[in-house]
Order: sequence, then structure tokens, then C-alpha cells
Amino acid sequence: MSYKGLPEVVTRRRRSFWESAYFVEICKGLFVTGRHLVRNLLHTGEMPTVQYPEKRREYGPRFRGRHRLMKRADGSPRCVACMMCSTVCPADCITIVAGEHPDPAIEKFPKTFTIDLLRCVYCGLCEEACPCDAIRMDTGIYEIAADNRESFVVDKEFLLDNDKDGTL
Amino acid sequence: MVPVVFEALAKIVFMFLVIMSFVPLLIWAERKGSAFIQDRTGPNRAAILGLRLAGLVHPIADVLKLVFKEDVVPAQRHRVLYAFAPWLVMTVAMSTYAVIPFGDHLRLGGREYQLVVADLEVGLLYVLAVSSLATYGVALGGWASNSKYTFLGALRSAASMISYEITMGLALMGLFLVFGTFRLTELVHQQGDLIWGWLPRWGIVVQPVGFLLFIAAVYAETNRTPFDMTERDSEIVAGYHTEYSSLKFALFFMAEYAHMVIGAALIAALYFGGYQIPWLRRELIEDQAGLLLTGLLAAGALLHGWLASLYFRRARREKGWYRDAREREPGVLGAVALVIGLALLGSLLLRPWSLGAAGASVLATLLQTGFFIAKIACFAWLFIWVRWTVPSFRYDQVMRLGWQILLPVGLVNLVVTALWLAAAHRP
Amino acid sequence: MATLTIDGQLITVPDGTRLFDACREARGEDLPHFCYHPDLSVAGVCRLCQVEIEGLPKLTIACNTTVRDGMVVQTRSKRVQQAVQQILEMHLINHPVDCPICDQAGECGLQDQYMAYGLYESEVAKADKVRKAKVQVIGPQVILDQERCVLCTRCVRFCDEVTGTRELGIFNRGDRAEIGVAPGRRLDNNYSLNTVDICPVGALTSRDFRFQKRVWLLRATPTICPGCATGCNLRADHEGGRIYRLVPRRNDEVNGPWACDLGRLSYKDIHAESRLAVALARGEGGLESRGWQEARAELFGLLKPGGVAFALADPRQSLEELVLFKRLGLRLAGEAQLAGGIAGEGMAESDGILLAADRRPNRQALRWLELPEIAPARLAETLRGARGTLLVFGGDPFAHAEIAAAAGRLRVVYLGTHLNATARAAQLVVPLAAWAEKDALWVNGRGRIQRGQRAVAAPGAAREDWRVLADLLDHLGDSLDLPGLAAVRRLVAQELGLADLDVLNRLPVGGLQPELPAKAPTQGE
Repeated sequence: MSYKGLPEVVTRRRRSFWESAYFVEICKGLFVTGRHLVRNLLHTGEMPTVQYPEKRREYGPRFRGRHRLMKRADGSPRCVACMMCSTVCPADCITIVAGEHPDPAIEKFPKTFTIDLLRCVYCGLCEEACPCDAIRMDTGIYEIAADNRESFVVDKEFLLDNDKDGTL
Repeated sequence: MVPVVFEALAKIVFMFLVIMSFVPLLIWAERKGSAFIQDRTGPNRAAILGLRLAGLVHPIADVLKLVFKEDVVPAQRHRVLYAFAPWLVMTVAMSTYAVIPFGDHLRLGGREYQLVVADLEVGLLYVLAVSSLATYGVALGGWASNSKYTFLGALRSAASMISYEITMGLALMGLFLVFGTFRLTELVHQQGDLIWGWLPRWGIVVQPVGFLLFIAAVYAETNRTPFDMTERDSEIVAGYHTEYSSLKFALFFMAEYAHMVIGAALIAALYFGGYQIPWLRRELIEDQAGLLLTGLLAAGALLHGWLASLYFRRARREKGWYRDAREREPGVLGAVALVIGLALLGSLLLRPWSLGAAGASVLATLLQTGFFIAKIACFAWLFIWVRWTVPSFRYDQVMRLGWQILLPVGLVNLVVTALWLAAAHRP
Repeated sequence: MATLTIDGQLITVPDGTRLFDACREARGEDLPHFCYHPDLSVAGVCRLCQVEIEGLPKLTIACNTTVRDGMVVQTRSKRVQQAVQQILEMHLINHPVDCPICDQAGECGLQDQYMAYGLYESEVAKADKVRKAKVQVIGPQVILDQERCVLCTRCVRFCDEVTGTRELGIFNRGDRAEIGVAPGRRLDNNYSLNTVDICPVGALTSRDFRFQKRVWLLRATPTICPGCATGCNLRADHEGGRIYRLVPRRNDEVNGPWACDLGRLSYKDIHAESRLAVALARGEGGLESRGWQEARAELFGLLKPGGVAFALADPRQSLEELVLFKRLGLRLAGEAQLAGGIAGEGMAESDGILLAADRRPNRQALRWLELPEIAPARLAETLRGARGTLLVFGGDPFAHAEIAAAAGRLRVVYLGTHLNATARAAQLVVPLAAWAEKDALWVNGRGRIQRGQRAVAAPGAAREDWRVLADLLDHLGDSLDLPGLAAVRRLVAQELGLADLDVLNRLPVGGLQPELPAKAPTQGE
């Protein structure tokens, strides 16, 4: 970036007498805030606040919500426990323990697959990294609440059947 | 003897009730007003049976929360002073009201009642003395908590008290010169006069510069923005009450608003005629009491009818928004407004225009006291409005403003007032 | 000497050098290859190390060519690159590309070379690929996946040339050719895991390491195998305080590129259930856990000069520890009541390849330090009439019933790593770090001092041995100032009579075979 042509010393603008007297400026400020106050009092319905639980904002289809695990045709998880997602995860929130699958055509499967939703930053890199399209963040669920920390660590069974609402 | 005690007690209880009902209302106004100024909706969730009253239920919830919260105390505090400080602040806040008259004398059953708790000869000095005692509470609380933030807050509080007490004193001196009395009842009474037959002889009219000095000093004494350096969050966490929680914090918190009410009451009483209604002297009210009451009742009925129609329209509009008890709120409020309106309308049947002398006196007192309370509300709102408009001063700016600007201006104002009075009264 | 030009660069190498090695020297990196291995014979089957030699009409493989004076070689020409890419594509025609489930992913020759030389679009659909057997258990340690194999025959040559066991071979021809075990046999020799290491793809994988961890998550620390007197150089691959595998580290003076399965599985002891993670002391209800300070006070109370009947170490302790222990033992018990280990313990057959007859990693250090070993019977006799404290530093002497019986009236202080028979009989147990949990020096059977580094942290309250010993010595009024391991190693050098006291602090990667003064002669294995 070039600063050529800009004055090297920026001079402070001198305040006029009425500005430094402060009182007039306070009155001007009061007028501005008062204008907001009156407008909002007269048009309560036009405030930008979304009355959340009753009304909701619309999110786009690419919105990243809570994760889910995709299934094969037989209902078992598509995941082959390659650890790509847990490797790429910047929050280190995915823990997978791989196991030997009885079917040699599948060979490797996740014995456990847990996501710590408290650590997750919802960046979506796990989706990007997955070679099997096994993990997706398209549930659109963003209200995730529980009254204890343990509930936020969700397991494979939960993620495979993940169309419940936010309460864990 | 006994009736005198009862009279004093009744006046104390009345003042206490007024102030204590002002505090939650001001907290509500602060939250809701700041929200509307900032294009937010503010508190609107707490509800009792679906009645939310635009967030007025929140102060109740706040108080309940603060009362039942765990009282977390610092281990190395000074036990006695730590517990004593919030009570001192609260007590001092309450005591100042003793000398502020909230109405003219009330004539009832052949007796005349002075509508002030203590009509002191040295009322103004009492105000100055007691209001600066509050700083002791703040300083003690900050020191007894044994924390650097509270300690800094306490120091700043002491510094601003010393700096602005002088300015306040000088402003009041000007007022004293003009009205020639320290007695507040007398001061307010004199403000009912008119200059040149049309201009109310209010403090602000005779002492405009003094008013500006006084209002700045009051803001500094109550530690409100732009002089909120004793509890500046970005610098010293919460200032002197950082280490207080639960009920003790609630006391500090309520005391702040109680101080705002004193400040507003003092401004109203000293510079805006107190309970005086301009161009409507008490004698005039008592003469025309019947007519006034009739007009008031009719206006009240009209107002409530209008409110009821507003609420009923809102009830129609909001149908199906919440699908719970909250949906009934506008309907219920509308019905209440309608009933009140009808009651006011019905009370016209009691022939209010033929009011007795006692009734006229009561009406005049009610009107004047109501007017005084309305003035207090206006200035209390000004406190809030200013807080959500202007940024705070830095500590050094507060000191410079106090010592280098307000103090000399106060002195000059005093001298000019004295010279002007001397010139006007030259024999 | 032969001088040749490789990629326009003049290079002089000894006569008889393979062109492959000359190219590595000139290029600074290997030529693409699967089958070539410097410690095995040349097979020349993968055809990847193609180079263009001026005067020859066709491309030639570098691994099977010897350098000639005046050769002009191109390794990066367009022709070579094209050839390498096409050969790579051939190799991958039937490859299942199951990298997500393959343990080799991350250290796979196919992956690396596809990224370096391939990067083509595959023309073979997955459905058209030849399917072969997967997940075949061919031995106690190894699993074979025939689909992934590129038929480089490294494993076959290893079993032929290094172990001489000849279990593996190539069966069938063309695209049905596959690696397999000879009929009626299993890949069951003590070196079978080396085939996993040299397999450039994921065809042979370790059963022990299978699916345990992706290799890119592992961190490597150089260590020394504690399994026998050979002292093979190993690399501990660990993550999150846990060792997942040990792989050999090339040291041509000691183990070459290999290591035996026995040594490579020795990490399991470190994470055993019986590891001591907290100090234990005998209370009313048997052994109870103690905080470190309490245990320390109790230790000082039990170990008083003159009150110690016997002090016994173990040849599985490191050189520094044995030096400190000797000093401590002399102070506490005296020369006659001091031994470096139980004679004859851990002696077995050598297999003639790497595994030594002496299955203790540091017995040579005992000889150097003149810490005698004591026969179990003699130790039992010594202990039978004794009173006071028996200090046991490592090992498990109470596994010998006669010693355990003879020590019945002694209060035993055990400094060690596992809850074994000795620990169970002890009055006080102080937990110590195991071999991969400390930075330590080991002396192998040939008198080579090698340094193993600390790979993982010791569990719980377990501490590095030298700190405990130095603390004891300090308490007993020894005037040594041992602020750190470097000072301990200077002490060791002094004890061994080495001229340069700091030599052990800057040990070369491959270890050091020091010239010791005559008083401590190096004995045979």
C-alpha cells in the first residue's frame, strides 16, 4: 500500500467553541437517540429483532448444522474409519476407533465414532475430507442444548439416526 | 403528641413508597429505554400468567433472583464494614428525602398539614451534608472488599465527591442569594411566583448557569454516565461493588437508582418549581376544583377508552403468534383499560363539580404532588437518556472539568449574582 | 573410480557401484522404485527406475546396471518421465485404491510415486479390475492383501536371503500372478514383520498395528531395543503418550535395516496393566498408595547406611542408573552386599541373525562397572540370616522362589516399573519410568554405547530412575551435584575412565564404541 500523496502529518481538527462547550453537543446527541426511541416506540413491529423461539430466521441449504452419518443400503454406517475427518478437524472433536469388519469387502469399520459437539467449530472440513460421503452436516439443526457436558459427546448410534431436534 | 408522630410516620411511609416504587420502574425504564434507543426490543420475556407488561415483570424476577442468589464474599474482607457499606449507602439515599416538600400544605378537618417530613431551617445544608455521606458507603465498601478494582472505584468515588461537592455548593449558594432562604419549603413556595406576570419564578429562570453547574454536579455525585468512573466496566470491572453479590449487590444497585431519584427530585424542587404547577396556584385550583375534576375524569375516561381500543386491535393482530398464555395479554389489558375508563365515566354521576372545601384541598394536593412526581420522572428519564447517549469522560477529564471549568464558572456565577442582586436592591 | 554424467552433472563413484545409487547421489533423491532394496539382491521386476543412457537405444533400469566410466545418463528427460508414468499406470491397473482403509496410506510407495510421477487420469474402471483375495492371515504377525500387491518380490527375497526360511513365493502368471505362502506353511519366523516394513504398498500389513492408528498421526522417537544384548536401533512411533509400534532404524554397525519381531513387540510391556503408576507402601491392609512426598520420607527412613542388608540391581537398567546405583549401594550396604543382577537370568539361544543369547540389554555395563552378578542360591544364603532392608532396583528377583523364601524377614524396598512378585512382597514400592519413558544409555554386547530417547511420558507418579537415585544420594550426603542428565553422563564417563567427560553428551546417532582403560576389558557376547 502506498501512502504517496497523503499528508504526512494529520492535523487535529480544531473544535469550535460550541463543540467544546459540550452542552450543545449533548443536546444534539440526545436528539439523535430520542429520534430512535420515538421511532421505535411508534413502530414496534418494524424492529429488526427476531422473536426467536416463535419466529425463526431462514437459512440457506448450504448451512452447516449438526453432523449426521450416512448409511449403506443395509443400514450400517458408510464410514470406513479412515480418520480423514478426525485428522483434518481443526477442533480435534472427532474420535474414531476402527475395528475389523467380518466382511473382507468392507474390512474396516468404525467401532466407535464420537463427536464432541462442544468442541466442534462447524467448519465443515470433515465433510470435505470424507472420501466416502459418510459424514454430512446437512441436518440444519443448530439448536443444540443439554444440561450436562457429557450429553454433547454424541456417539455413532446418535449420528446415524440424527433427525431429532436440538435437545440432546 | 400521638397525632404528630402518626403524621410524621405517614409522611415517611409515603415518601418511602414513592421512592421504592420509582426504583424498579427506573430499572425497567433503563433497560427498555436503552433497548429502544439502540433499536432493540429489550426485556419482554418474563411473564406472570402471560402478563408481561412490556417487560415490567422483569424487575420482579431480578429482585427474586438477587435475593436467592448465593452471597459470594471475598475471604480477606473487613467483615463489619463490608456488610455495613451497602446499608449505609441505602440509608443515606433514603434520608435525603426528608427535607424535600412533595406538596403544599394540606387543609383537612381544620388542621393544616405541612407536606414535608422535616421542614428544616437549614434544608439545603442538610441535603449537601447527607448526600455526600453516600460516598462513605461507596468508599468503605470498596476498601473493605480488599480488591484492587473495588479500591480504585472507591478512590475515584472519593475524588469525584470532593471535586463536585464544591461546584454543587457554589450553585446552591447562587440559589440561596436569590431566594434568601435555606428552607426548602420556602424555596419551593417562592418559585410559585410569576415574574412580570407571566414567567414562573423557577430556579432555572433566575439561575440558568447555576442550573447547568448543579445538574453536572448531580450527575457526578450519582456516578451516572458521563461521570461513571467509579464503576467503569472496561477499566475496573464493576468498580466499588465488584466483590458484592446477592442482596448486598442489590442494595448497591437500588441505591444507585434511589440516588437518581434524589437527584431528579432536587433538580425538580430547586430549579423547576417543585410541586408548583405554573400559572395554576393552589388557591386557583381550590376555587375551580369541581370543574377541574370533571375535566380530569372526562379526559381520563377518554384516554382509557383510547388505550382499550389500541389493546383490542393488538389482540386481533397478534392472534396465533405465541400459542400460549401470552396471547391473552392485550385482551386482558384492554379489558382492564375499558373497565377503568367506564369507572371514570361513571364517577361523573357522583357530580364531581360540587366538591366540598376539604375535597378541593385534597384534590389540589393530589394534583401538585402528582405534578412533582411527574417532574421527578422527567428528570430521572433524563439521567437514563443521557447515559445511553453520551460516552463517558476519562478520569482526568472528569477532574479537569470539575476543577478547571465548573469551579471557576461557579465562582463567577456567584459573584455576578451577588453584584446583580446588589444593583437591583440598591436603596 | 568411474566418472559419469547424470542429468548433466559430473559425478565420480567407485567402480562396481550400482547406477541406482549413483543417481541417488547425483539427484539428491531416489529414482522411482518398488523392488530395489539396498540390502537385498536385485530383482529388476518393477521397471520403475528407468533411465536413458546415451548410446543405448532403449531405456534401462538403473538398479540392475553397474556404472561405467564416461556414461551419460538422463533421469528426468521427457522419455523417462513418460515411461515412468506409463509403468506406474500399469502397476495401478488392478490396484483397488482402498487407501481409506489401508494401513499403509501415508507411507505408501504407490501414493508417493503417483503424486510425484503419475497424476494421470485412470482409464480402468473399478468394476473392470481383477479381484483377488483380501485380508489373508498368513502368519502370526502378518496379513496379506493380494489386491494391493505390485509383485515387487521384496518380501520373497527377504525370506530367501535374510532369514533363509523361504515361506513366500509368487504363484500364477500375468494379471493372476500373486504373492502367496508355500503350501502347508505360514509366514512364521521371528523376522516376519520386516516384510511389512519393506513392502512398498499395503499388501503386507502388521496384525499388531492393524487399524490402531493412521501413520501420519504418529510421532517418531529414536530408541534402543531392550530385548537382548544386540541393542537394535528402533524408532518408537507414538501418539498421545502411547507407543503404537516399533520399527527398525538403520544402523549398519548393529542391526542393518532389520529388527526381530520379539523386540518390536516389546513396547507392550510399557502399557501393561501391571505398570506401577503410584508409590505403594505396606499398611494394615497390604499395599496402599502413597503420595510422592510420603513415599520419599518412607524411602529415606528405610534406606539408612548400615541398615541395608543387600542391594540388588538388574541388567535391564541403563548405564547411568547402574553407575548411580553402584555409588548408592557402596554407601548403603558395602561392596560385599552389592550385586548387579542375578547370574544366568535371561540367557537363551542366539538365532544367528540378530537375536543374541543374552536377553538383557545392558549386561555389558555390569561388567564395565564391575558390578558382580550373584547366583540365586548364593543370594538366598546371604539373605537368610540377614536383618534390615533389601533394596531391589528393577528386575524381579522374587520370581526365584528360593530368594523370595530367604528374604522373608527383610523389609524390601522395590524401585521398579511393574507390579511383580518382588513388588507384591515389598514394604515400599517406588514407581519408575520404563525404557522408552526415559532418556538413557545402553551398552550392547559388543560394547557399543547407544542412546535411547524418551518417547512417551511415564504413567502417573512414576519418575525417571536417575532422579530418584540422585535424590537418595543427595539425602545420604553424597557431595555430587547432579542438576541434570548431562551431569550424570559426565559422572558415567568419569566412572568408565573415558578421557573426554562430555563424550556421552554428544553421542553420535549410531552410538559409540569407546576405548576403555585396561581395567575394564570388553568381554564377548
